[in-house]
Amino acid sequence: MSQAGRPPDGTLGFVHVDMDAFFAAVELRRRPELRGQPVVVGGTGDRGVVAAASYEARLFGIHSAMPSTRARRLCPHAVFLPGDHAHYGEVSAAVMAILRDVTPLVEPLSLDEAFLDVRGALHGEDRAAAIAAEIRARVLAEQRLTCSVGVATNKFLAKLATERAKPKASPSGPVFGSGVHVVPVGAELDFLHPMPVRELWGVGPATAKRLSSMGIETVGDLAAQPVRRLEKGIGKAAGAHLHALANARDDRPVVTDQELKSIGHEETFARDLCTHEDLRPQLMRMADAVAARLRAGSVLGRTVTIKVRFADFSTITRSVTVPEPLDGARAIGIEAEALLRRLDPTPGVRLLGVSLSQLVDGSVRQLTLDEARGPSWSEADSVVDEIREKFGSSAIGPAALASKGEGIRRFEVGQQQWGPDRAPASGSD
Amino acid sequence: MGLKFRCERDVLAKALADAGRAVTTRGGALPVLAGVRLELTGDQLTITGSDLDLTISVTVEVAGAEDGVAVLPSKLASDVVRSVRAGAVDITVEDDDARIEASPSEFAIRLIPADEFPQLSSPDGDAVTLDAAAFKAAIEQVEKAASSDDARPILTGVLMAAEEGGLRLVSTDSYRLSVRDLAGSSVLSEGQKVLVPSRALKELARVVGDEESITLRLGERDAGFEVGSVSVTTRLIEGEFPSYRGLIPTNHPNQLTVDRTTLLDAVRRVRLLAQESTPVRMAMSADGLELVAVTQDVGQAHEAVEEAVYKGDDLTVAFNPEYLIDGIEVAPGDEITLETVDELKPALLKSAEDPNFLYLLMPVRVS
Repeated sequence: MSQAGRPPDGTLGFVHVDMDAFFAAVELRRRPELRGQPVVVGGTGDRGVVAAASYEARLFGIHSAMPSTRARRLCPHAVFLPGDHAHYGEVSAAVMAILRDVTPLVEPLSLDEAFLDVRGALHGEDRAAAIAAEIRARVLAEQRLTCSVGVATNKFLAKLATERAKPKASPSGPVFGSGVHVVPVGAELDFLHPMPVRELWGVGPATAKRLSSMGIETVGDLAAQPVRRLEKGIGKAAGAHLHALANARDDRPVVTDQELKSIGHEETFARDLCTHEDLRPQLMRMADAVAARLRAGSVLGRTVTIKVRFADFSTITRSVTVPEPLDGARAIGIEAEALLRRLDPTPGVRLLGVSLSQLVDGSVRQLTLDEARGPSWSEADSVVDEIREKFGSSAIGPAALASKGEGIRRFEVGQQQWGPDRAPASGSD
Repeated sequence: MGLKFRCERDVLAKALADAGRAVTTRGGALPVLAGVRLELTGDQLTITGSDLDLTISVTVEVAGAEDGVAVLPSKLASDVVRSVRAGAVDITVEDDDARIEASPSEFAIRLIPADEFPQLSSPDGDAVTLDAAAFKAAIEQVEKAASSDDARPILTGVLMAAEEGGLRLVSTDSYRLSVRDLAGSSVLSEGQKVLVPSRALKELARVVGDEESITLRLGERDAGFEVGSVSVTTRLIEGEFPSYRGLIPTNHPNQLTVDRTTLLDAVRRVRLLAQESTPVRMAMSADGLELVAVTQDVGQAHEAVEEAVYKGDDLTVAFNPEYLIDGIEVAPGDEITLETVDELKPALLKSAEDPNFLYLLMPVRVS
């Protein structure tokens, strides 16, 4: 099924992620000896163009899409590397996977850039900023690459916010940016209006020149114009479009590039786990994480798959398809554990994963009579979602983790609140 | 083993078709089960079809010439007999063929070896009698709520349980639940309950016709129903039917009362715009009832339902239109009530006049 988020609704939750000098950074990662030098990636022949330039190279005026011959003239001592697109694609996929861990609503714009709609995983202003910081930290920790992140109430503003967060080239070397820039609710116009019009999407040199001839230099000038005048000056479509942008209006939703096929979570352990007792809490934690993401994306899944990689790197998957699609931590945990129980962990498990596929739209869902039996697990899940919304994702977790020193303090929960254990679906009186 | 008789085409065609309904359509299992068994004793011809779970036998009066047993391919025999000219049909079994003659046609159909046809035992419990018309009506009121998903065998059954001196039928597919009480039909001993495949009950209801009574015999693992010349034997489903009593709310703050056919017609109309699994919404207020269906990129439908009376808080509940229609269709009487708690709790659909029928339906959650 295709995925489109809701249009903007004034709440903060549109996130734009842009990798910093992506191709160059990926090359530097595998050739650390080049760090600090101007590095240019792209076509190295006479007709080649620059695909990416490190911040050191940008200092010489080199930027992407510039002919390689010109780049060579600007900085003859730069290191020119041919692009390795297959490798960048792999790294990009790994980065996108991190983003999809946050929300299924990820819209990649290119290998190194994507929009996210995190309103489903939200929470208020601080949380959106915290999610942005988490994304940066994870990309750095897992990929040893930096990215810049913009957060705002729509896509257009989020992308502009990212520019504010970016590192800049300076004569003394790259100056790190803030990494994350948030445009708070209500501050959209203060952020936007002082900018020169060139910053707007769709304003090239020609349009900028024409606007300038109309006395329009800043976005604020643009916003103050009657739409008519703009339409007359630069064309009907462009005029209306720019006027909307200048007033911070952009109602495009985040649209995922592909059909969403599965949602999963997997992790490599610090040491191999050899017993079901050690694996179970890990599995429950992953089931919980996957369930939360399903609910955040308003989808349910019918097929539960576990992935197990053993110490010798042999990897197997096992799956089960259930009649009723799931989005609850407990139900997913039960299915996943039944699959895991059939495997022998004694050779040592280094990686464990849980995923849900055969996804169905959860925004319209036929309820089942089982959900009418007293306080249900789905009600418990929505309470969990609310608690996380208020206090963060580590505020509450599966009880299976409580005794395992996972940082969750254990409280005795009254029977009244959570209800006793009960047999699934076709239980007895 | 001869087997030779003459029979009216229409009588034979109906008997072959009725027995053939139990014949397995899933190919492969046991080839002989693609056949119907014909057994002639005097002038009594018994035709039996079975898929081992369900067995249907039909006994008809024929002009018998030679007793015997033969198994004919069910579909072919049925198609042939139905196709010939009206009038008498002669069937004669010789060697490996059954000859079917109805002037001017003559067919020879290869037999299936009769000794491969399974021995089917009938339940040996005491015979009890049910009112045929009432039982048929009760089956029709509950069978739709039974599941057709073989992955959940228990829910494909209809629970028959002794209840307060009467017989109660219950079915659920986990989205809705039907309960029908047949007062005074004490065919089961108190506390006894069996889970009968809804498919068998549907076949039984089909063959009831004008008969006045149904005879029921219960065995350990199967149940046999006899109605007129037809007997339907079915395996019982093993396992525990989900507990349902606690699901039926005892306290409903909100009650809608509406003419049954008016509501049924309105929902059928509005349903046309509830496509791609979108629900029909029932908006209930002091003004009455409005039905709304909206399918993105297709359109929308609204209808204010005439003479609907609503008492309670303003409430909008969304339902799967098919499930809603199923319930309204089978509710007895001219007027029905729909009792609700809120938009996520089960709604209870009842007849305003007849307390012996309940239809509990879970809403669709729209987020």
